[in-house]
Amino acid sequence: MTTRQTLIHRLAVPLAALVMCAAAADVMAREPFTADELKAKEDKLLSSVKRGYDMWYGARADMANNGLACANCHPDAAATNPQTFPKFMPMFNKVVPYREMVNWCILNPQGGKALDVNSEDMTALEAYSFYLHKGVKIDTGQVNRQTAGAEPNTARGFVTKGTGIGFDK
Amino acid sequence: MTLIHESNRRGFLGVMGKAGLSTFATSAVGVNLGIVDVAVAQTGKRAVTPFRFAIIADPHLYSAKDHVFDKQLEDAVAQVNAMATQPDFVLITGDVAHHGELDQMMKGKAILSKLKAPIRSIPGEHDWYLDMGAAWRGAFGSETWSFDLKGVHFIGLNSILTPDFWTAAKLTPAQRRDWFMPLNSPVPGVWGVHEKQLEWLKKDVAKISADVPVVIFTHSPLWDYYPRWNFQVSDSKEVRDILGKFVNVMAYHGHVHHTVFNRIGNMTSVGTMSTSWPWPYPPVALPYPEFQQNRADPSNTSDGMGSAFVAMDERGGAFVQHQPFADTLGPAMKNGFKV
Repeated sequence: MTTRQTLIHRLAVPLAALVMCAAAADVMAREPFTADELKAKEDKLLSSVKRGYDMWYGARADMANNGLACANCHPDAAATNPQTFPKFMPMFNKVVPYREMVNWCILNPQGGKALDVNSEDMTALEAYSFYLHKGVKIDTGQVNRQTAGAEPNTARGFVTKGTGIGFDK
Repeated sequence: MTLIHESNRRGFLGVMGKAGLSTFATSAVGVNLGIVDVAVAQTGKRAVTPFRFAIIADPHLYSAKDHVFDKQLEDAVAQVNAMATQPDFVLITGDVAHHGELDQMMKGKAILSKLKAPIRSIPGEHDWYLDMGAAWRGAFGSETWSFDLKGVHFIGLNSILTPDFWTAAKLTPAQRRDWFMPLNSPVPGVWGVHEKQLEWLKKDVAKISADVPVVIFTHSPLWDYYPRWNFQVSDSKEVRDILGKFVNVMAYHGHVHHTVFNRIGNMTSVGTMSTSWPWPYPPVALPYPEFQQNRADPSNTSDGMGSAFVAMDERGGAFVQHQPFADTLGPAMKNGFKV
């Protein structure tokens, strides 16, 4: 086999793969999301955030046996620091994700029943807490520093229709 | 003034855990106040007869029997009762009853009745909005008051008043109360003392000499700390203006569930820890960051909470000693501080 034939032979497989990828990309490519599509995605997220907010303030009774809710110690999700997880937590003696810490609070200070870590309700609690930390720098592993999250810019910390009562217009 | 010195408070507290809360409080406070008294004895003419008072803040009692917050309030009562020299009175800064229920109020009154010293109380929003203060008044008396003690003029005001949002919306008492449960509730708006109490305050201090030390108690702070969580009084400037003629005004408050400090004009403001749970610090810069307590360890149910003692000196100043259940104070507060 000549040197030229060897080169073609060696390039044949990668070239074929490249052509196939290009074809697949052509099929999968799409236009940027439209405004309606973006709004639909945001609405889905805010629905989960809203559910998380309600649970944060005690909507799910089995999360406590002593009347305490997440909001007792974490108004506006302050000092929850989701941006610092996963991190080592002494009470676990290992690195844990945020949702494990949420369950620790439910089980211990609140004396409640732990949530399924893969449940929509756990995702909702995460959605609320993370949403209120939008713009806060990811700082995985940070410990022992007082942090207070971001300043919420709406009454509940996220866009929602007000009750029309008092100052909640 | 010489401040007390404890070279190894953490070790001392470790001993406390074995020796018991009462032993610790008797020893520590006896040392603190002894030094204060020695210091003021060296200052000549006495405008004020040195004395002391204690502060217990934000018990937030629930109806459940043997709730963890019951025990924590009992610990604070034990701390105060263990003082080597008893305070002249104990100030309860409000939020005794988390839901404002009568049984919670009565439970609080029963625990607080174990104090050796008499109590003075002001209401918090949790006490108030189920029945507009009826149960609280029944347990603790008037919400607006003043008295003179050993050369100092003391004032208590109800700082948690809001405009009426419930009548037009036809809310039940429980619904009205529930809108005050979240710290960041979007409905009630900011609290204040409002016109009636401002008029009362003007009359109350009208004939008091400007050199008389004034101590004022409110549930929430008399400065704009973080209005979103009602860490404020909407008409605090009016209060400060009315008290502007005095040389020295000290303001003590609860509600914030952590230590905080500020000075505005002639007013020094001190916020105290709760006996229930610690609030985090809000996302604003503290005017005196050295008075920020350490972050509480959530696995220690007593961490971040406690009571406070204040020793008035003969010049109308004071020595403040926060008394945490666990070791949560930084260097600026650990050995007490002058106000």
